[in-house]
Amino acid sequence: MKAYLALIRMNLRLALRERSVIFFNYFFPLIFFFAFAQFMGGSTGGSVMTRIVSMVLVIGILGSGLFGAGMRSVMERETGILRRYKVTPISPLPILVASLVTGWLLYLPALGLIFALSHYFYGMPWPERPFSLIFLITLGCFAFRAIGLIIAAVANSMAESNILIQILYMPMIFLSGATIPLSSMPVTAQIISQFLPASYLNSGVQHVLLRARGLTSNLESVGALVVTTILATLISMKLFRWEKEEKLPNKSKAWVLAVLLPFVAMGIYQAWSREHITETKNLERQVRRNYTRLIRGATIFTGDGTVIRSGAVLLKDGRIAEVYEGEVPSAKSLSAEPLEAAGKTVMPGLIDTHVHLGSPGGAMQPGPDFDLTAAMERALAAYAYSGVTAVASAGDFTTQTLAARKRAIDGEHTGAELHLCGPLFTAKKGHGTEYFRGMPTLVRNMAAQEFTRTPETPEQAREAVAELKRIGVDCIKAVLDDGGPGAPFERLQTTILKAIADAARENGLPLAVHTGDARDVAEAIQAGASTIEHGSFRDVIPQETFARMKEKGVYYDPTLSVLEAFVAVRERKADLLSRSLVQQAAPAGLIEATRAAVTATGAQPWRDWIERYPIDYAAAEENLRRAHKAGVTLITGSDAGNFLVIHGPTVQREVELWVKAGIPAPAALQAATGNGARRLGIDKRAGFVRKGHEGTIVVVDGNPLEDPAALEHISSVFLQGERIDRSELFDQH
Amino acid sequence: MSEAAITVQGLRKSYGDFEAVRGIDFQVQQGEVFGLLGPNGAGKTTTVEILEGLRPRSNGEVRVLGLDPNQQVARLKDRIGACLQSTNLPDKLKVTEAMQLFAALYSRNVDGDQLLRRLQLWEKRNENYASLSGGQKQRLALALALLNDPQLVFLDEPTTGLDPQVRLEIHKLIEELRAEKRTILLTTHYIEEAERLCDRVAIIDQGRIIAIGTPREIQARTLGHSRIEVATERPIPDGMLTPASFEAETILLSDNRLAITVSSARPARTVVELVKWIDAQGVGLADIHLKRPTLEDVFIELTGKRLRE
Repeated sequence: MKAYLALIRMNLRLALRERSVIFFNYFFPLIFFFAFAQFMGGSTGGSVMTRIVSMVLVIGILGSGLFGAGMRSVMERETGILRRYKVTPISPLPILVASLVTGWLLYLPALGLIFALSHYFYGMPWPERPFSLIFLITLGCFAFRAIGLIIAAVANSMAESNILIQILYMPMIFLSGATIPLSSMPVTAQIISQFLPASYLNSGVQHVLLRARGLTSNLESVGALVVTTILATLISMKLFRWEKEEKLPNKSKAWVLAVLLPFVAMGIYQAWSREHITETKNLERQVRRNYTRLIRGATIFTGDGTVIRSGAVLLKDGRIAEVYEGEVPSAKSLSAEPLEAAGKTVMPGLIDTHVHLGSPGGAMQPGPDFDLTAAMERALAAYAYSGVTAVASAGDFTTQTLAARKRAIDGEHTGAELHLCGPLFTAKKGHGTEYFRGMPTLVRNMAAQEFTRTPETPEQAREAVAELKRIGVDCIKAVLDDGGPGAPFERLQTTILKAIADAARENGLPLAVHTGDARDVAEAIQAGASTIEHGSFRDVIPQETFARMKEKGVYYDPTLSVLEAFVAVRERKADLLSRSLVQQAAPAGLIEATRAAVTATGAQPWRDWIERYPIDYAAAEENLRRAHKAGVTLITGSDAGNFLVIHGPTVQREVELWVKAGIPAPAALQAATGNGARRLGIDKRAGFVRKGHEGTIVVVDGNPLEDPAALEHISSVFLQGERIDRSELFDQH
Repeated sequence: MSEAAITVQGLRKSYGDFEAVRGIDFQVQQGEVFGLLGPNGAGKTTTVEILEGLRPRSNGEVRVLGLDPNQQVARLKDRIGACLQSTNLPDKLKVTEAMQLFAALYSRNVDGDQLLRRLQLWEKRNENYASLSGGQKQRLALALALLNDPQLVFLDEPTTGLDPQVRLEIHKLIEELRAEKRTILLTTHYIEEAERLCDRVAIIDQGRIIAIGTPREIQARTLGHSRIEVATERPIPDGMLTPASFEAETILLSDNRLAITVSSARPARTVVELVKWIDAQGVGLADIHLKRPTLEDVFIELTGKRLRE
């Protein structure tokens, strides 16, 4: 121990007496720091800065490791310094360890310096996880010093070590993301980067800084660096030479390859899984999210009824940092990039509270390579494209929907935020079970398990709800509807509905109940529904029922869109497909196939249910007006996925239909934004243009308060601060 | 006398096909100053480094302070002191820092400051290593070698490359170490160094010991007796010179007949006879030298080579 400390102390002293060490450790990184900060616009946002910081850190650590440890060690051997130690009782280990530790100790002030400069000059927040960061930096210092020591062990002269170092340094600097962001490189280069130790340091640091991820979620980087440190130290010990006269046999040089093995393995794994490449994309997204932007000159609809006639919204670090009314500070003083929005309206992202992601909303036969999760993601992208930034699935194949939600949360896919109810609770032969009737038993059972729950006792109902809670659904959906005259569907027993409602409440899940007639609505409210889906398309619901809803705080989700679509299907009219945003957002081929199916004459099996379902559009409009009058909280579900209700600009159409039905535009817009957020339980963080909320907002041309059609004229969509490139969301053929 | 400080039996060392040490045997007693003398490449340094535990031997038995340098290398290194050839310290390391550093590497230490005073480095204690003169560097190397109070000190060519003045200083230091009863193994190719400092000497050439003993024993044992060199003013007449007439072994006449070299086991008698004879011949005595045989002469006699070539 005494020897270790003495060697470290000596190394430190000597290093601090050496001008080149001071320069390369402390000043050289600052050159990159300021150059990157100027070039990449470090002042515009915390996260641009965090990326610059991680780049500078990686460059510094690489330099310290390869040049610092590598060259110095060769020099000590060449000049006979190591030879002097050889006759003392120490092994190579203290010398190697002292080199690792010294490099690390010398680097820590540089780390502090860079963070201090970033904080005080460029307003970068202090790292949220300083210990994870320091740990990772420590590992990085150790790993690259150890690699430097191997080079020193292998090289027979200063010149040789210099060549070896350059061979390692150059690709690591340019391909690890340390100088050029990985996400801007071609995929091949990104795959190559997965073979480079520096990439793991770079991505590890970026994860800690940008996503405030701890070490446990950074196991890949941590593991790679730990393995490198240990392996490289052991190998450099094995290959250690005290004197320049001891030449290394060429076959010993092959040991160097051993240290690269973990990275070759990692690289091959990454080339195969592309996990890391996706991660890189996510990191890039994080950077875009954290951009500072000032949207100014706009009308602002805040989502809670307030309208700012001329104001500005400051987005920063993914959130709404400030909402200004009247006087707005200059963009420069806020270090923000201005976005001129005169004549435009800023509003919270629209929310559709009733969709079925698994069906396309038209006639499209799934091909043999159909991927349900992918189809759902395509639908979520169509929503985001249209400014609908959150949707609630009111019944879908559960496994695939959970998968889509997870990928969205992990940032692997850009689209509307997804909430899901999971399977429908219905009677054995109730609405919802009819879709699988014609299927082979095996497929039917599988599909039924994914899509429905048909408890026969209150006990089964409670268990089913609890199980869904465990797998992570956001709400429970039940169907209370006999299908109208002739009762084509078995109706769920109210005792079971009551048990479902109780279990949902106990589990903290809202209960959405599909209703068919006035009695269904009343009984659903009685049982404890949180939302009434559809209300009734055939009965006019009594005033007192709405009064009861108001009293119990039950949401009303009229889904006029699907009703309008049913009417259109019956009349064989395909005008709904001609809306511009629908055409933009729909997958290729869907529009034409659907138009053909809808306008075709003659009987088609898919029409049966729609034809038979009793429809009274005027009654549905009246119910909406009554709900509004009664002060019931309204939300804008569309029931997209049904024929002619194509995923995308659904909320726009719903709002339009409401305004036609006589609902004031501000009320409709509030239903489409703030109310929807409350229904999804995200109102603490989203659904309003409010300081501290997520920067999930939509900018439209014109003023939808005066003309609902303006909702279709999307100018920009921001998801958690990221101005999404709408053209990149999906392939538009 | 207890156990020998160093015992070497049948020591061999090969580097690939090249055999640097070809089976040597010797013992160094405690408190003895033992010299390994030989030209560059004779195998001196290899032998010393094997004894110090710096490199493994190929064959043979070696004990140093009762330890096997191949097996108990750390314990051995902890107990010996060594001045190696061509070592260095970092340029910007100060003298005291070097002392502190090396003190930390051993399990026991003597007072470093006292050592510095004794080696006349006290004034230089805050100087960088690079600013020291050659002699100061060598004294520092000695100081470092003595930090762990070693009973056995290896000095591998301690004066090579130093000017005569400094060499004398180092010689004095080594004599002091001898006075402290430390065992010293010294390699050198300076014959006078070995003669002056060593109790016993082994002469090494091409990996073998070709002579071993006290300097005096070696001188006595070899053919190289004393040499008398005579120069005359006029050429010496032919046919008159026979060794027997001067009680000498050989007589050599130079080509110009103005000088003769005589070797003799009884130089005093030979000188008298020679002077008488030259007087009688009337060739005029210009100069006369009596040279006792040196280790170098021994070496030349034994190997046919000079020491430094």
